Amino acid sequence: MTLREALLRGRRRPRLAGVGSPTSYRGDGYEFVELRAYVPGDDVRRVDWAATARAGALQTRVVLEDVALTLASIVDDSASMHVGRARPLRLAAHEAEAAWLGAGVADDRRIAVAADGITPAAIARSAPAVLADAASRRRGRPFDLAGTLRAARAALPRGTALLAIGDWFELDDAYDGQLAEFGTRFDCTALIARDPWYDELPLHGLVRIRGAEGGGIRAYVGRRERTAFHRAVRVREADLLARFARANWRTGILHEADGRASLAAAFGLRSLG
Amino acid sequence: MSFAHPAIAAFALVLAAALGILVLRFARRNADLDRAYSDIAFFDRAIGRRRWIAPALNAMWLLALASMAVAAGGPRVRLPSVVRSGAVFVCIDTSGSMASTDVAPTRAQAAAAAARAFIAESPPGIAVGIIGFSSTAEIVQPLTRDRRRAEAAVDRLPLPNGATAIGDALQLAGSALPKIGHRAIVLVTDGVDNAGVDPLAVARWLGAHHVPIYTIGIGTTAGGLIPGTLQEATIDSAALRAYARLSGGAYARVADAAQLRAALGRLGRVTALRFKKTDAAAAFALFGGAVAVAAFLLGLGVGKYP
Repeated sequence: MTLREALLRGRRRPRLAGVGSPTSYRGDGYEFVELRAYVPGDDVRRVDWAATARAGALQTRVVLEDVALTLASIVDDSASMHVGRARPLRLAAHEAEAAWLGAGVADDRRIAVAADGITPAAIARSAPAVLADAASRRRGRPFDLAGTLRAARAALPRGTALLAIGDWFELDDAYDGQLAEFGTRFDCTALIARDPWYDELPLHGLVRIRGAEGGGIRAYVGRRERTAFHRAVRVREADLLARFARANWRTGILHEADGRASLAAAFGLRSLG
Repeated sequence: MSFAHPAIAAFALVLAAALGILVLRFARRNADLDRAYSDIAFFDRAIGRRRWIAPALNAMWLLALASMAVAAGGPRVRLPSVVRSGAVFVCIDTSGSMASTDVAPTRAQAAAAAARAFIAESPPGIAVGIIGFSSTAEIVQPLTRDRRRAEAAVDRLPLPNGATAIGDALQLAGSALPKIGHRAIVLVTDGVDNAGVDPLAVARWLGAHHVPIYTIGIGTTAGGLIPGTLQEATIDSAALRAYARLSGGAYARVADAAQLRAALGRLGRVTALRFKKTDAAAAFALFGGAVAVAAFLLGLGVGKYP
């Protein structure tokens, strides 16, 4: 299954999208889902005659509604994502974003959201152009979460499949309302960058820790500190996952080693193909 | 503190300081190959930073190094030791103002009781003599190691009367003390020197001959009238402090009989102490070693050494 198929099948119906039913995404299209017994009212053009002959009763082909998707991405490309054990987290984030925007078909729209606005409509059909535009607008700027969410809310159409990737250190409790609103408005997926020192804090003794976005401390790191840190990063990650899930977002962990695999895992896919 | 080998001590201290600076710089340089973290505030909260460990460990290592460096220089420190023999004169003021009752029952009786406490507390090897002084000074009891005779002499002190010749008393005590050995003078007075020789000059002379004067000023802050007169019994604390300072002794002021007894009892032990220079190299080396071991164990305990 492709990422696009997964999006279509697993699409969370935005609750405020209007009148609908659990089967409202099944309609005209080419993506076969299943055969089922004919129900009066089914479009006769969808009757599978071969299957009807085999079964001895009318069988209807159920297909997915073939709609154009709007794929949007929010990526924290600030200095805080430039950290990592083997390589910067931002590289994995870029891989995931490229895979996300690349998953669309020709008619799909691709939008990269930043605090200063969204991708121009003129280039929204080309994933490489969108990525290049996003990179130029994000480069060297701190991540403005509030501004980016504001821009997304103002510009993205309802039902947009939105992927947001970051370390989410800025995400304090004040954002919970906004997250919930996004969860009802869009089909949201959050990738939470796994702390590079999630498995083990590789520091001993007196160390200087430099803040990726400025500042620094000299700290003594012993066994107690390592244990406390180990616990704290787990608690933080679990808390973030729970908060996004409460807000009706699909969640996943961004591993620095492989952004594509991280995105696939968020959708329960083995790979993105 | 002095050193048997000051040059070695200086060299060792410089070496220790240089080593300490090198270690710190090396640690800093290693730390400067610093790690970046996304959110420094979170990191700080997450590890529950213990801010005292690094300075404490550094201080302990530096202390250990410095102690060993000092030990290498052969340090000699003045340490007190109880002398086996010595001589102390207790000079007790018997001037008219000692009849004042602000220190119960009278200053004179409180001084006599305190002098007995002093004699009782003096180690057996210390010979004690008693001098009473008012307008003039006289030896009531020559130096003796017989405690009963010394205490009996206190009872023979004249009744309070006359002026206060502190200088004469100090001079008499100085001349009656042996020329060598451990010597001290305890001066118990309530008044202002107003007769005889200049006590400052005598104190200076005694100091030059290593005879410390321990002065005790008796009297409440409010003071009191000298009985039978309209004269105020005052106390010249500055002068008493100066006698002590010039001679290498100490001054204490007491306002009641209990304080006086305690002060003189304490002096009974203090005057039997001699400060002599002792080789402390082993002590410094042991101390430095112990601190180094403690620093290592502390570092091990907090996980500095993986």
